[in-house]
Amino acid sequence: MQIEHLIDELIRREKETEPNPFLATRVMAQIEGAKKMRSRAPFWQSLTLAVSIAAVAFLGIAIGNSYVEHDAAEVALNINDRQIENLGFYTLGDDKQEQ
Amino acid sequence: MSDEILIKEVIAGNNAAFKTLMERYQLLVFRTVMGFVHLKEDAEDITQEVFIRVYQSLHTFQGESEFSTWIYRITVNMSLNFLRSNRKKRLLQSLEALFILRSEEKTPLEELESTERDRRIRKAIDSLPEKQRMAFILSRYEELSQKKIATIMNRSEGAVEQLLQRAKENLQKKLRSAVGK
Repeated sequence: MQIEHLIDELIRREKETEPNPFLATRVMAQIEGAKKMRSRAPFWQSLTLAVSIAAVAFLGIAIGNSYVEHDAAEVALNINDRQIENLGFYTLGDDKQEQ
Repeated sequence: MSDEILIKEVIAGNNAAFKTLMERYQLLVFRTVMGFVHLKEDAEDITQEVFIRVYQSLHTFQGESEFSTWIYRITVNMSLNFLRSNRKKRLLQSLEALFILRSEEKTPLEELESTERDRRIRKAIDSLPEKQRMAFILSRYEELSQKKIATIMNRSEGAVEQLLQRAKENLQKKLRSAVGK
């Protein structure tokens, strides 16, 4: 009997709890917000998609056009290492000191 | 204005009609949710989600059952989903409540005892099997008839009566040692 009474008492207190008086306003604001987002999104989405596709196509054409084929034969370089590394350069200072 | 007319208005795009509908049913939803979650903040959040769901799926409401029955079903399902996905958080909150809730009429010891007793009762209600809990909350928090509960739960009246009886027995069993001294 006492348990029943305690349960009833707890339920009575919880039932007395009042929700926020602005709850309905909060829900309406969220619904309105979602509605606006939904009506705006498809326009921007489709516009962004169209612009992206156009940009990719344009970029592809531009890169393709910028390519120039080189027909000239490659020139082989034949460098004489002995000329590049002329030991005279390294011994020049020493010669001056000796003089 | 009847529910049917308001629903038609909402479907036609009249949001003010939905606000009227919400004001009519918000206490019903809030109280039911309170039965499941016991915390005002959580109950408000779920109530908000329930009405957003109702708004989004209002066009699917066939009118075969009462609007209140439909809204009760959504409320119960969303409350149970919330409980399933927030078990850990709720355990912490119930422990916090032990230290936060205070009243000036009682001594600190009495206060602690009554808070602990409340916590045990809530825990006992929450630990009831899902169907028993649904029937119990709809019966005790909303004071609905067995017939109405049977419609909401898609069961026979006899089955609901049995669920309520078992819920009562289970609560007695669980609470006898804890509070019924």
